[in-house]
This record gives sequence, C-alpha cells and structure tokens, in this order.
Amino acid sequence: MAGETIEAGKNTTPPKGETRCPGAPTTQEIIARDKVPAPAWVRSESYEFMGDQDIPTDRYIDPAYARKEFDTLWKKTWQFACREEHIPEVGDYYVYDIGPYSFIITRVAQNEIRAHYNACLHRGTKLRASGTVGNAEEFRCSFHGWCWNVDGSHKSTTCHWDFPHVDPKKFTLPQARVERLAGFVFINMDQAAPSLAEYLGPEALAHIQAWKLEDRYVYLHVSKRLPANWKLVIEAFMEAYHVIETHPQVAVSNGDANSQYDVYGDHVDRFISTLGVLSPHLYGKHTEQDILNQFTLGDSGALGSVQRTLSGGATAREVMAQMFRGMFEKATNTDLSKVSDSELLDCFSYTVFPNTFLFPGISLPMVYRFRPDRFDHRKCLYEVLFLRPVPLDGQRPAPAEPIELRDDQSFTEAAGMDQGFGVILDQDTDNLRLQQEGIEASAKRGLTLGNYQEIRVRHFERTVDQYLGQKS
Amino acid sequence: MADSFHRVLSAAEVPPGTKKAVQVGDRCILICNSNQRLYAISNICTHAEKPLERGRMSATWIACPTHGARFDLATGKALNPPAVKPIATYEVRVVDEWIEVLIKEVAT
Ligand code: FES
Ligand SMILES: [Fe+2]
Repeated sequence: MAGETIEAGKNTTPPKGETRCPGAPTTQEIIARDKVPAPAWVRSESYEFMGDQDIPTDRYIDPAYARKEFDTLWKKTWQFACREEHIPEVGDYYVYDIGPYSFIITRVAQNEIRAHYNACLHRGTKLRASGTVGNAEEFRCSFHGWCWNVDGSHKSTTCHWDFPHVDPKKFTLPQARVERLAGFVFINMDQAAPSLAEYLGPEALAHIQAWKLEDRYVYLHVSKRLPANWKLVIEAFMEAYHVIETHPQVAVSNGDANSQYDVYGDHVDRFISTLGVLSPHLYGKHTEQDILNQFTLGDSGALGSVQRTLSGGATAREVMAQMFRGMFEKATNTDLSKVSDSELLDCFSYTVFPNTFLFPGISLPMVYRFRPDRFDHRKCLYEVLFLRPVPLDGQRPAPAEPIELRDDQSFTEAAGMDQGFGVILDQDTDNLRLQQEGIEASAKRGLTLGNYQEIRVRHFERTVDQYLGQKS
Repeated sequence: MADSFHRVLSAAEVPPGTKKAVQVGDRCILICNSNQRLYAISNICTHAEKPLERGRMSATWIACPTHGARFDLATGKALNPPAVKPIATYEVRVVDEWIEVLIKEVAT
C-alpha cells in the first residue's frame, strides 16, 4: 500500500488521533439525517489525542497496587452510593461499601442526606451490616447499645457514669461529603475535594442535567462478581471496537467502527454508538431488513412483541425510531414526542470516574456501577440498573430489589433481564476472565491502545495515575 | 387443642403498604400488607428480641428498626446480620372481611 507509506521526515499522514473509520459516515452524520433532531449534548464532539504509549499492566495484576488504590483513589473521588429513591423517607438508610470503607447513607431530613462512617465510636462495631437497607429512628449499636440520632449526633451512652471522658458533643458520627445529582447520591471521603459540579466540569454537568434522570426509577437491578480487575471490567465497556469480534450478533445493527468518542476534563468521557445502522465491517453483506431484525434492546420488556417489517424504501433506523417512540410511550405511560430519534435508539455510554456509567438513552437505559472486590483484586463487583421514566400519573414505583447472581450464573438467568442483553454481558464476562489471566501470563507488560476508539481507556487510566501520584 | 384460624383484625385495618401488630395468646404477630398480599409474621426479631413493627417494609422483606436485620416476609428467613435465625411465619387468609391467622398447636 504505497499510499500509506511515510517517508522519513515528511508529514504525509494526518496527525495522530485524527483518522476515522474510512468509507463510513460519522456518528454526527448519521444523527443529522434523523427526523426528530437531537439535542445539543448529542451533537457535539470533544476528542483529544493523549499519546500512544503502552499502559503498564501492573495496575491490573498487583495486589499492592489495588491496596494503594483504596488509600488514594477511592478516598478522594466522588462515587455513586445509591439513588435517592432507595431512601425516600426520613430515617431511611442504604449501606454503601467501597473496599474496607462503609457508609450509612441516611436521609436525615426531607431534603438532607448524610453519609455516616459505618462504625460505632465505642469499640468500632458496624452500626448496620454491609449491603443492607432499612429505616432507623436511631442508630443503636448491637454490641453495647450506644446510640446515635439519624443525623449522626450522639444520643446516648450505655452506663454513661463509666465514660466521664466521653463528651457527647464530640461523639457525632464522622461523615463523608454528600452531593445529589439527577436522582443519584454521590459521596466523597475527601473533605478537601472539589465540589461534584467542579469535578464533573461544566460541559459534562450540563449533559447530565439535560437528561432528567431524577425522573426515572430503577425497574431492574442485577449484580454479579466479574472475573477481572475492576479497571479491566470498566474498560471492557468503554469502546465499541470489540463489538465485531465479541458481539457479532450486535454488529448487524450497530455503527461500531464509526462510533464517536469524547472526553470531558479528568472525570467524564463517553461514546455515542449508533444503532439501527450496519457496522462498517459488514457493508454490502446485509439488508436494511436484517438490521431491523437484529436490533437488541436493554429494555425489550417495555416493547412487548414487535412487528419488524420495512416498507416503501424506509431505512431500518427511521422505522425503529418511529416504532419505539410509540411503543415506549405506551408501555411506560410517558410522552416521548419531543425525544429525538437518536436518544430513543442510540447507545450513549458515559463514565463518571471512578465507579459509574450512565446511559441516558431510552432503548438502552442503564446505569452501571463497578467496585473492586475488597479481598480479591482480580474480581469486580458489577451492577446494572435499568431505569424507566416515572409514569405520567406521577406514581413513582419502588426501586427494584437487587438480584444477586452467583459468579457462575449467566446474566440471562436474572428474572426480567432481556435475553439478548444478558447474552451480551455473558460474552463480555468470558473475555474478561481470559484477559485477566492473559495479562498475568504475558511477556509484554503493557497494553497497546487505538488512538481514537480506545481513548476512553487511556483517559481513564490517566486519571487513575493522577490519583495514585504517578505521571503518565 | 387443634390447629385453628384466629380472627385478628378487619381487613380495612391494614391497608396496602401498612402493618399492624396483634396478640394471639402468647404470640405477638405482625400482619403486613405488602405487594398486594397479606403476610403474618412473628413481630419479634430473632436477633435481640425487639419488635419489628416500626421497621421498614419492602415488597419482599421487613427490616428491624433496632439493629437492621431483615427478614423475608414470605419465608421468615433472616436475610442479613445481625440476625441468623428465621422468624416464624403464619398462614393468613381473609374471610368475610376479617383477617385470620392459622395457629398451629405444637406439643411441648
Ligand atoms: S461497640 Fe458499639 S456499643 Fe460497644
Ligand atoms: Fe461488550
């Protein structure tokens, strides 16, 4: 291929990171043709080249590195702890754990939420078991009965006469910082950390605010431990580059190689992966009808049985947008007339560093949460929450109880999980096991990344480095 | 004495999403109306023997307000620490707008 040869000293190729999938329309070009136009947050780009050095792999395989992450990264970052809907009433609490740390996220007043360190100030007992929710009128320790009000102030000391050195005013439960955004409760252990708004930056914050995720509710919540370091797991969901090999069934209806990748400051990045269009890898091999038939939904339960037929030269993407708008409106009793085709169809995947993915679309309406397994740096606690719009009648359904899958179970076994979506997650899980083991086995101590399609991986690891005090 | 159903409350006294404690002989029983069905469970947490009555109830569990143990409404199974042992559950039915609970007499 003579045309691609570079002569030494001559700049005949575009600058690094500027090449896009040849012969395919861009994500923006696909979206620009849609009938109901997309909002500004969809129709913008924010890519940045960040170098092309390998990512050293000790971060995925070294237990000491994982310990250091708990001491640095996890103690300084804003983390999604629960949804507001998990604690609707005063006194309601939700225990959020990250590594050894544990917090009782408590609604202490109608409009105030606090995150108490989950440990008794007497001899340390957890005041509430990890992984639990409930309501408290007071937090009473199960060991000797020391007691705190729900706002964290000290209420009583059993046999107070024996503790003249305990000043109740100084025995308020320590708290992490709490901020709320879009129905999510975020916490940060670092009292000196920037505000959540600063942390996200103005542009990403504006995107999140535009989605109104506070008006959705959790209708399905599934958790499972995945067989790889938490960062590998996160990175497996950051690009559509793997779709053609890992999820060939999806590629027929997914603009994978021409997906769009953006970064915003240090803590947010995203991709937009169009659906209802053919993968550039498969051009010439499928019809529009094939595309329509292959479409995978995260929330197919909202659709019931779909008639998938094309007529009169319409594209699969057009037909699907029209069809989904009507069916999601009916199924969820909501008004989607002003919601763009792109928001209805496409996969928008946003990372909020370090533990959250937000997918503001309608057909793939997920939130992911990732946390390292406290006792095993080669395992990751993964949760997927599917969100639906709160019905027009305003009655907010209670959030779904989490379904906890065992390590050996398929995602398709979770009741309510779309089967096609469960298969996709199983395919990712199978890769992750091999990837963790392969990195440990490899003679090559670095990961090599694509400049464009894998920019989110590089961006994420650059921020990891910043928190761990390493220059990348 | 044989097993028998005991009338405890009128159905209207336990609207959806609520619960009410009743005494049947020496048993303190909690009638729960959750997720479109009635449950009758022991009102006493097996952990520190505190009443469950004021605890948070979801579609499937009740949480002890004192130390946070949760129990499955249908089976009585303890779902998290500090409780380990299950609470008793009772068969419950509605006859003529009355809630009735089945008490089994066990030989001691
Ligand atoms: S450890 Fe909590 S009261 Fe003693
Ligand atoms: Fe995947």
